[in-house]
Formats: sequence, structure tokens, C-alpha cells
Amino acid sequence: MPRPDLMKGGAVALPSTEGPVTPVTTPEGVVLSFRTASFASRLAALVIDFLIIILAPVVLVILYILLPFEHLKFDNVKMDHPAIQALFILFVLIGFFLRSGYFMLFELGPRAATPGKRVMKIRVISHDGGHLTPSAVITRNALREVELYLPLTLALQASVNGGWVSLVALIWTLTLALLPLFNTSRARLGDFLGGTRVVHVPRERLSFDLAEQAPVTSPGLTFTPEQISVYGEKELGVLEEVLREKRATTLRAVADRIKARIGWVEPKIASDIPSDEAFLRAYYAALRAQLEGRMLLGRRRKDKFDE
Amino acid sequence: MSEAANEKPPLQLKSQKFREAREKDWKALAKQIDRAENGGLRKFTTEELLDLPVLYRSTVSSLSMAQSISLDRNLITFLQALCARAYVYMYGPHARPGVIVRDFFLRDLPRSVRALWGELSLSTLCLVLGIVGGILMCMADPSWYDPLVGGMSQGRDLNASVDDLRKTIGGSESGEPLAAFSVFLMSHNTQVTLSAFALGVIGGLPTAFLMIVFGMSVGAMVWLFASRGLGPDFIAWLSIHGTTELTAAVIGAAAGFHLARRIMFPGHLTRKAALAEAGRLAGTAMLGAMLMLVIAGFIEGVARQTVTEMWARFTFGGVMLVFWLAYFIAVGRLRKPRPPKLSHEVGHAQT
Repeated sequence: MPRPDLMKGGAVALPSTEGPVTPVTTPEGVVLSFRTASFASRLAALVIDFLIIILAPVVLVILYILLPFEHLKFDNVKMDHPAIQALFILFVLIGFFLRSGYFMLFELGPRAATPGKRVMKIRVISHDGGHLTPSAVITRNALREVELYLPLTLALQASVNGGWVSLVALIWTLTLALLPLFNTSRARLGDFLGGTRVVHVPRERLSFDLAEQAPVTSPGLTFTPEQISVYGEKELGVLEEVLREKRATTLRAVADRIKARIGWVEPKIASDIPSDEAFLRAYYAALRAQLEGRMLLGRRRKDKFDE
Repeated sequence: MSEAANEKPPLQLKSQKFREAREKDWKALAKQIDRAENGGLRKFTTEELLDLPVLYRSTVSSLSMAQSISLDRNLITFLQALCARAYVYMYGPHARPGVIVRDFFLRDLPRSVRALWGELSLSTLCLVLGIVGGILMCMADPSWYDPLVGGMSQGRDLNASVDDLRKTIGGSESGEPLAAFSVFLMSHNTQVTLSAFALGVIGGLPTAFLMIVFGMSVGAMVWLFASRGLGPDFIAWLSIHGTTELTAAVIGAAAGFHLARRIMFPGHLTRKAALAEAGRLAGTAMLGAMLMLVIAGFIEGVARQTVTEMWARFTFGGVMLVFWLAYFIAVGRLRKPRPPKLSHEVGHAQT
């Protein structure tokens, strides 16, 4: 996890992003902390792509059998009929494309992702922040030959012949194939070679600003600086989540805890006692105002144990 | 409080004012990226197209700003995701196709191939060794022929008569499924080249092995035809597409050797950085090799059956060879030494 750089102020890995983070410095000089695609989601994407690769020829053959091209059936013509030749060539070419070109073509497209990756909401990016170049995409996919097809072939061989050589080779290539599990950026060999990474690119919705809705001047809801300065940024984040979720029991529990912690005295008049939500909103606004004020002066406070 | 008439409470925090001022841009960018991702970039007007990078930059700068002044986590997460999506879109692999193609053929490809000269000589050596070895092995014991050539023989086996052999390298006999076979051969050879490249990652020895075996199968065929007195005919026939195809295979294997060398001897870089650098260089050369294989496939499908005279075949093959050599040696050289990565690759000691 990259440590906050106080000189720059940016590059802070957000606490809400779980899992390993791939920081990428864009050409604009901003650090984008991408969430690294997990091994599981990459595997799922691969399985989807493989289903497409395997099913496409099957569908083609079924189509060929179903379609009423009587004069093109094998029984009716000799093998050297030009139409059969053309069909055969077409089939070999499609097979070749599926085996070697499928991944490259899709990753060179505008979305830099195969259909499987698109479903899993992951994308290929260039690790150095620049353009994803065609040669990088070619390299990362050519390496599939070693990482994927070779282990599969060897596994097949080992299961048929049971030779120890193919077994050793299988273990050797399997370690290569499982490389993503053993490094923090979850990169496979082709990613290292192509200088690429696979990251999660989700869509987020912009919600309202909680501080904007805080009751500004309700009489009972003012806090002394001492009451505010017990918490830090991490607690502020948790408070934000609670307020956005708005579950009554959580609101109550959190409000009670904060009240106990800051020594809150409830107003005497019953009608002035704020609801849990109103209290928390007001406290959130006050805490954020204080922490952001400190932040502007370059003094950040990570959590309640800080300073 | 001057704005008491307003329903909304007055803005208090800097981050709130900041959001107020920039929010419109973010929403506009989010909308445009949605459209672009759904393939609607062609429907953009010129103004919208020109606006896109401006919106992107302003949003990225908003993110960098927000990270240092705002503690609204939802806002920052949103900006991060938006910037990430916009970044992936803006810096995706798509650029103007014309520029990519021109840069690739006139600059990147010949330069990367030139940078691999040491590996190129090594893989040429492997191929030549394989061919010579194949010939010698078959001369010593003809039973080597079958294991070396295997399923690609297509009737060119030990029992074939001189006439049969002559037929397989003849012109366009009608009714022979040669076109289909040559497509199969093309995809086979492309696979060999791809594997030779990829196997470089596991130390380079498998690449050398693959090249030698590949050479041996060629050598064995040369021996078969030579032993029936058809040596020059066969070489002429082979040279039509072989000059392109073998050059491509040599380049593919050289790219594999380069990977192997940079993994084992990363120099002053970390192994990871050396790998990324090597991958880019080797990948470019590899793309070129694959394109050459496609060209070789076309030549194989067309010229092999239409060019039938021996001298014409030699001329055709020779012209192709000279073309490739001239292309890789001369194209894309610079007058002024610019500092691309490629130049210091050449300086490295070879393995």
C-alpha cells in the first residue's frame, strides 16, 4: 500500500478500495490508484473467453450441418471441389484466429478487453501510464502459448502416456501459469513482459455531499473543538458510510458511541434533543470541516490514534 | 448570512465550493465516456471531440485537487473511477490507424529487428545447424526421414518415385488440394514461430531446440529430393516462399532468445524492468514475423503454383530475400541519434 506523500498530497490509496492496488502515474502526472483485478475475476474472464473459443467452431459446424447447402455436403462432392476447398480454408483460418488472434484483436479494440474481461469489468492498461501499445498487447498474448497452451498440452500428454518428463514439465509450466498468485500486482508472465497490468475499472455513482445537508444552525448541535478532535480521517470515512447507508440500528449504535466518547450532554428540553441522524450529520460536518482545515495546512490525521 | 433567502445552506467548506464549481464538468465527462464506450465516438461532433480531452484533463486535475482538499469519500471514489475509465479510454490502444501503421512499418519494426542482431545470428546458426544436421542424419541413415518430417510430408516420403516427387513441387495441377494444405502449413508455421518466441521465457534452450528441429525437417526434405536428383528443383521451389518464411521464423526465434537473455542477464535494470523492456522490443519484432508469415502464406498459395520455371522461382525467392534484408537493414535509420531504448540494446554484450 503506497504511503501518503505529504509533499504531493496525492497518491493516497483509498481505504475503501479493498485488495491490492496498482498505482499508475498518468501522463498528466496524477496518480490513479487502480484496484488490481483479482486472480478469481481474471480466471472467470478466461473461462468465459474459452467457452466462446470452444463453442464458436461447434456452432459453426452445427450451422454447416443444419443449413440446406445440399451441393456442399461431403457425400455429394469430391474433396477437391473448390467450394469444399474454400470451406476448409475458411475453417482452418477461423480456427487459427480463435487460437492465436482472439485475445489480441479484442484487446487492441477501443475497450482493451475481451468479452470475458468486459463481463468481469476488468481492463488491460499499460503499467507505465502511457498508451497501451499494439506490441505490448501482442507480447502479453503471445505468452499465453507458454502459460496456457503448453501446460494444457503437457497435462494431456501426462494423462495419456504418464511419462515423468511431461509430468515435470507440467509442474514447471504450472508454476509459470500460477505466477499471478505470487506477486502483489497479480500480473502473469505476459503482463510483466508486455509491461501491462489488468485492473478493475468499475463505475461509481456520484452521490450528494453529506456536509451540504447538515443542519447548519440548529441550537443544540454545536461542538467544542475538543469534542471534535477525538477522531481522524478513517473514522470520518466510516461515519460517511453509516450516514449513506442510513440503517436505524447502526445509526443509533454509532451515535451512542460517539456521544459517550465526546462526553455529550443532551439538551434539557425534550424537543431540542436531535435525532440520531441529525446528530451524526452535524458531527460529520463539524469533523470534516476541522479535518479539511488541517488538511489545507498540510497536517493530515489518519485516524484517532494519530498524533 | 446574506443568502438566507436560499433554501440551501450557504457553502462552508472549501471542498464544497470546489465541488460546486467543477461538478458540471465531471458529469459531462461521465456522459461522454458512456457514449464513447458504447461505440458512439463517430457520432461526436467536432466540438464534442475537441472537448473530450479538455474535460478529461480538468477531471484528472479535479481528482488530484480533491485528494488534497476533500475528505468526502464518495466524491473521491467517484472521481477515481471516472478518471480510471476515462484514462483507459483515452490511453487505450486505439490511435489513428494510419499513424500506427506508418510508425510501425517505417520505424518500430525495422529498428527492433536491427536491435536483435546478435540473437538473429544465433537463431540463424540454429536453423543452419538443423538443416545441415538433417541432411547429414538422413544421409547416414534414411530411416531418420520419417520422424523428422512427420505429418507434413504430404506424399513426399521415402517410397515416392521421382515422378511423384516432381509432381509435388510442380506447377498447378488441377484437382490437388494444395491451396488448403498450404493454409494448414501456414498456420502450422506461424504456431512454430509463436512457440519459438514464447519458449524464450523459459531459458531459451527450448527455442534453440525448436529451431534445430524445424531446420532438420527442412534438411531432411532437401536430402530426399537431392537423393533423387531433384535438389536444385526443390530448393528453387522452396525459395519462393521459404525465403520469407524462414526469415520470419529466424526473427521469431531471435525475439525468443532476446527474452531469454534479458531474463538471465538483466544488466543494470531490475529483472522485472528488463523483462518489460525486452518484451516490448521482442513483441514488435514478433508482430513483424507474424505478418511475414501471412505474406509467406499468400506467396505459397499463389506464386508457388503459378511460377513454375526454375530460374523464375530462384529470381522470385531472391528478390523477396533481398527485399526483406534491405527493409530490415535500411529502413527507419535516423540521421541524428535520438535516445530510444533500442540504441542501448545494441550496445549490450551478447550471450
